[in-house]
Amino acid sequence: MRFISLFILLLVAEVFQAQGTFPVNGNRNPNNNSIVFKNATITKSPDEVINNGTLIIKNGRVESVGVNIPIPLSSVVYDLNGAYIYHSFIDPFSSYGMPEVPKSPWSSNPQIASKKEGAYNWNEAVKAELNAAELFSRNQKVAETFLKNGFGLGIVHQKDGIFRGTAALVSFDGGSDNEALKQREVYTAYSFDKGSSRQDYPSSLMGIIALMRQTHYDAEWYKTANRNKEVNLTLERVNQTSALPKLIDVGDYLSIYRADKIAREFGFQFIMKGNGDEYLRAADFAKKEIQMVIPLNFPNAYDVTDPYDAINVSLSEMKHWEMAPFNAAILDQNGISFTFTADGLEKPDQFLPNWRKAIEAGLPKEKALAALTTNVAKLFLLNDIDGTIQKGKPANFFISSAPIYDKEAVIYEQWVNGNQRVFKNRSIIDVRGEYNLNVNGNQQFELSVKGAVDKLEASVKGGDSTTKATLELKGNQITLSFKSKSSKDILRLSGHISEAKSRIWTGNAQLSNGEWVKWGAIKKADFVDKKKKDSTQALPLTKGSIWFPNMAFGDTAIPQQRSMIIRNATVWTNEDKGILKETDVLVVDGKIVHVGPKLDLSIIYPRRMPEIIEVEAKGMHLTPGIIDEHSHIAISRGVNESGQANSAEVSIGNVVNSNDINIYRQLSGGVTTSQLLHGSANPIGGQSALIKLKWGTTPDEMNIDSAKGHIKFALGENVKQSNWGDSKTERFPQTRMGVEQKFYDDFFRAKEYGDNWKLYNSKNSRDKKLATAPRRDLELDALVEILNEERFITCHSYVQSEINMLMHVADSMGFKINTFTHILEGYKVADKMKEHGAYGSTFSDWWAYKFEVNDAIPYNGAIMHKVGVTTGFNSDDAEMGRRLNQEAAKAVKYGGVSEIEALKFVTLNPAKMLQLDHRIGSIKEGKDADLVLWTAHPLSIYARVNKTIIEGTVYYDVERDALLRKQVGEERERLVQKMLAAKKGGAKTKRPEKREKELYECDTTEDEGYENN
Amino acid sequence: MLNAQEKSTLIIGTTAHIGNGEVIRDAAIGFRNGKIDLVTAIDYRLDTTKYEVIIRLNGQHSYPGFISPNNVLGLVEIDAVRATRDANEVGNITPQVRSLVAYNTDSKIIPTVRSNGVLIVQSTPQGGRISGTSSIFNLDGWNWEDAVLKMDDAIHINWPSVYNRKWENGTITYKENKEFENQVNELVTFFKNAEAYTKSDFILETNLRFEAMRPVFTGDKKVFIHANNAKELSSAIYFIREQKVKSPVLVGAYDALLVADLLVDYKIPVVLRRVHELPLREDDAVDLPYQLPALLAEKGVKFCLQNDGSMQAMGTRNLPFYAGTAAAHGLDREEALKSISLHAAQILGIDQQVGSLEPGKRATLFVSEGDALDMRTNQLSAAFVSGKMIDLGSHQRDLYERYMKKYGLEPN
Repeated sequence: MRFISLFILLLVAEVFQAQGTFPVNGNRNPNNNSIVFKNATITKSPDEVINNGTLIIKNGRVESVGVNIPIPLSSVVYDLNGAYIYHSFIDPFSSYGMPEVPKSPWSSNPQIASKKEGAYNWNEAVKAELNAAELFSRNQKVAETFLKNGFGLGIVHQKDGIFRGTAALVSFDGGSDNEALKQREVYTAYSFDKGSSRQDYPSSLMGIIALMRQTHYDAEWYKTANRNKEVNLTLERVNQTSALPKLIDVGDYLSIYRADKIAREFGFQFIMKGNGDEYLRAADFAKKEIQMVIPLNFPNAYDVTDPYDAINVSLSEMKHWEMAPFNAAILDQNGISFTFTADGLEKPDQFLPNWRKAIEAGLPKEKALAALTTNVAKLFLLNDIDGTIQKGKPANFFISSAPIYDKEAVIYEQWVNGNQRVFKNRSIIDVRGEYNLNVNGNQQFELSVKGAVDKLEASVKGGDSTTKATLELKGNQITLSFKSKSSKDILRLSGHISEAKSRIWTGNAQLSNGEWVKWGAIKKADFVDKKKKDSTQALPLTKGSIWFPNMAFGDTAIPQQRSMIIRNATVWTNEDKGILKETDVLVVDGKIVHVGPKLDLSIIYPRRMPEIIEVEAKGMHLTPGIIDEHSHIAISRGVNESGQANSAEVSIGNVVNSNDINIYRQLSGGVTTSQLLHGSANPIGGQSALIKLKWGTTPDEMNIDSAKGHIKFALGENVKQSNWGDSKTERFPQTRMGVEQKFYDDFFRAKEYGDNWKLYNSKNSRDKKLATAPRRDLELDALVEILNEERFITCHSYVQSEINMLMHVADSMGFKINTFTHILEGYKVADKMKEHGAYGSTFSDWWAYKFEVNDAIPYNGAIMHKVGVTTGFNSDDAEMGRRLNQEAAKAVKYGGVSEIEALKFVTLNPAKMLQLDHRIGSIKEGKDADLVLWTAHPLSIYARVNKTIIEGTVYYDVERDALLRKQVGEERERLVQKMLAAKKGGAKTKRPEKREKELYECDTTEDEGYENN
Repeated sequence: MLNAQEKSTLIIGTTAHIGNGEVIRDAAIGFRNGKIDLVTAIDYRLDTTKYEVIIRLNGQHSYPGFISPNNVLGLVEIDAVRATRDANEVGNITPQVRSLVAYNTDSKIIPTVRSNGVLIVQSTPQGGRISGTSSIFNLDGWNWEDAVLKMDDAIHINWPSVYNRKWENGTITYKENKEFENQVNELVTFFKNAEAYTKSDFILETNLRFEAMRPVFTGDKKVFIHANNAKELSSAIYFIREQKVKSPVLVGAYDALLVADLLVDYKIPVVLRRVHELPLREDDAVDLPYQLPALLAEKGVKFCLQNDGSMQAMGTRNLPFYAGTAAAHGLDREEALKSISLHAAQILGIDQQVGSLEPGKRATLFVSEGDALDMRTNQLSAAFVSGKMIDLGSHQRDLYERYMKKYGLEPN
């Protein structure tokens, strides 16, 4: 029964296919013949190859495929002579046929609102209304480059914006747009790149993430909301297309984690379009069952011939250069399903060579093929196409001279929807060989034809002299011309080859006097392809090792947690006991278990003693790990979301960069915990990330999960945009007066918002159905959390007036300022701060970098401390972050704080500010074993870190560091040699470049790249 | 003289760190008329009656006033306020602009700097290819004429960079600067033209740029070349040789180790990049900037320290601690001291007057309660510039005392 209905459907389809709406100019030209390809090696699907097979197509579809199948009478038959047939490749991530994205020139002037006309979203980077099917228009020239390289189809979309609308399946063949458009809506596309939008918001990656989340919430709300207020075509489109697969262009592999979190929040899965470094965390991604689209744009080697140039190339780039071809193989070994895209290649011609490289690197051939055919169809739920060559499916395939996996393979023809496009003549006659040439019966020459089949090189020998000849072959027509020995004139010969084996050529020649004579050539020897020693033979691929992280000072394995006992140290407990001399500290399972002199393990463990490492620390000082309350290290793409005056919705937690070398550098200075703060570009900034500096792990593993939420506020010159240039005078507020009102307005809003939710949530389920849920607002959520004492404020602040102001705002609105950071005039209002209950986290001695720090004094910490404010010193600076012990010493120097209290400025006190003093900040039984072993008095400039321990794991060890340095040097040298060999082997190289991560400070605003101290 | 030392003074009981590597425990340091006339270990021969003022600071440490080269102190007051910035003049080649006349003796930053032991600064223009001409000042004086220690001591060249900086999404890429050769050539051409001009016996039109170069060719004005990358350093050294630059100094010189042999052979000293900086390259040892002084000393390169970088004027007060960090990372402590005293004086060409506690030199010195290279113990009890005791107070100290009073607390 099923068979019959299918049969009827097919019939119906045929009838429709013959019809169309377009009028025909002239007579119709129906063609219902079959086209037959015989003697072919047909790869029906990646797993099924038939030798000596026949493929029959008709009206653009496969009629049948197999061995010895009957050939219909009305057939055009091609004998492929053993050539190979594969399903056309499908590029799942292309912008073919899309209009060029208009580029608006960069301007320093703010753009607060969207400039897109129409009833679309408030934010220009949200372009969910884009519809590739509507935008699509064929481009023959670009199509050719795809077809030539094996691609018959592409899933295309406009690569612009964070929401990019829907992608459509199109074919690269000729005909019309109407014929080329195959499936209108395949997936909805997203990215972490705002594209052509010049609207200020979002200016950072975390802003992009927040906007993506908020837009999903908005779309949900829009479904149910009363639409009197606005019609939003963009959100309508988000809702209409919500059932489609979702693809996101993530950029680097860390953003896969980021995208995955968003998807989970909204109960879907993203297909991740990566950038080729996914091998670094393949096991993680397999666990998360992530499906990917990956590019094959392997980086070129650097030209490291000049060692002065070479020193500027980082190890991480060299290591990636080595490993990039292995990406697909490693993903496959981890069981990750992926497809390939030609996107990102400098030239489309690099696609097949790089694809073959991926195979050479260990990717099974059938997987490599599936990643361009069946996987694409499966992953994106294509309607009509499944990536295989089988009865009933569209006739999309190409013919190649050899298995497409082989370097020598030449693509002859691409057939898309049954339309042929020829690139190389597959019936080309191989005329190469040695011939005896006779002209006019009396002139004898020896003709030698060499070169490639389609690029012939000929020479003619007459007597003793040999001259180059011009030889052209078109079908079986020969054109030959050369200079004869007897005259200086050029002999011109035209003729044809008499049979396919090219034994005999005959034709007419015209002599220089105009006389026509006969000529002929007889082959005396076949061409022998003396395989020239290929000087550009690529070296065999060899894999390197992946380090965690994959850069200098990473390692093949991350350090492991150990139980240990640190013996005979001078222990700065930060507890009532003060400083204990000759004391032991026992660490088990990441916690401090015992602190005391001469601990006897056999008494502590009378029965079975766990494995405990002894660390002799005689003469050394042991302190709690240093805690940096104010740091901007380890952040990807922007420390400030400066696009709005309130960006409470963004979170540094979304953009932690675990590969920042400054993590390791901070460890070398004894830092174990950092609060990664949003910058100070706006009165209400973004949420913080609280991390432990577990170098080599992922952002999630660094995150302190028990930590409460924190958020950055800011006051003064930065939020007023005072030092950002004269064009930045539009965004409210521009004065300290406006700052106060901004806070009031936002907190009133937050209260009303919180009340609305409370009211809604108090309804029973029946009433809830009748009511409309309030719009979820991520920005106000964060403020409500503050009001509920679930989120803690760190406020960037300088002068006393504004500090005082904010405490008044807080008191009257019913919240608290947890910490004033920078707080350089804290000494002027320390009594008020104490009363409010705020902490003070300041610089030891910074000042004079802007007007508002004119009254900043190095005694600030000492005064606040003496008045009774819990005081800390922070870095706000990757360099100073690794010397915070020295900064603490300045509290002794300026104002005479006791040494014990001074050390607390960078340990216990910041722990309190982070609401983590129950876990960290002192050496006490039960607390996390975050410890630093110093070679000398920890406040002395002569103290160096011997070990930095986080939860019982030694993340920095001076001896291991020496080994790592050696390892960095050796690995660099190995890769330099490899790059030199690659260059010698003919590989393309590029001039050395140095790359570094921007160092962020409070007022680095990402979008414009301003840097003000 | 408004700045003259009035009374002869003798400091006794301190550990004298001479600045040339020597240390004298329980020393006596005498000075009169602005000059040191006695540095000795105390013994029975000491005649204290020769001095009008005797200062006993038993157990404390004396040092020559520290010297901060290549600094905008006095030229920039508040980094972010344009009206207070006088370090960077318009134009690419401007050797004729002089820090001398813009130097503000009343900068509020200066008192905060000298109270940590830094008593001399080379106030230096910035920016462009040739930024201008620096002068060296005592950090005490009524006006620039009065404060200047060495007038118009050097021109400052920012060597062309082999890389161009490009920012994209938080990543900074340094791509090859294709104009590098041309930019070097421009300098060569300028030097050649300036030299030709100075040789002329008849000058048709006065060229202030060329005029500013006259003392360069006679060796009376030093040439400070600012460069960090190995290629830039090696190209700058070649320039120094080719142009026969008489008193060259390299500034920054992060990659100095790679060209150390050349620096030693050609006796080119280095004003080393700020010690408290991050390594320039991700792959470099995490403490390379801390170690560079020790590594350069080992190679025999003459160097001194500086604090060029962000917030440099106010950061000058931390110069002693850069030397401390160098000492913590392998450099002998007295060698480290040299790098901010005698060696700095030699490199700046003021070692006849200052840089060490030696008779005949100016009495520009200070006494600290403890080791002045360690912030834990750097606590000045007295400081002198050319024999005159200076006030260790500052705007900051005033605020401290005022607000301690507000809270009923005793200032330290």
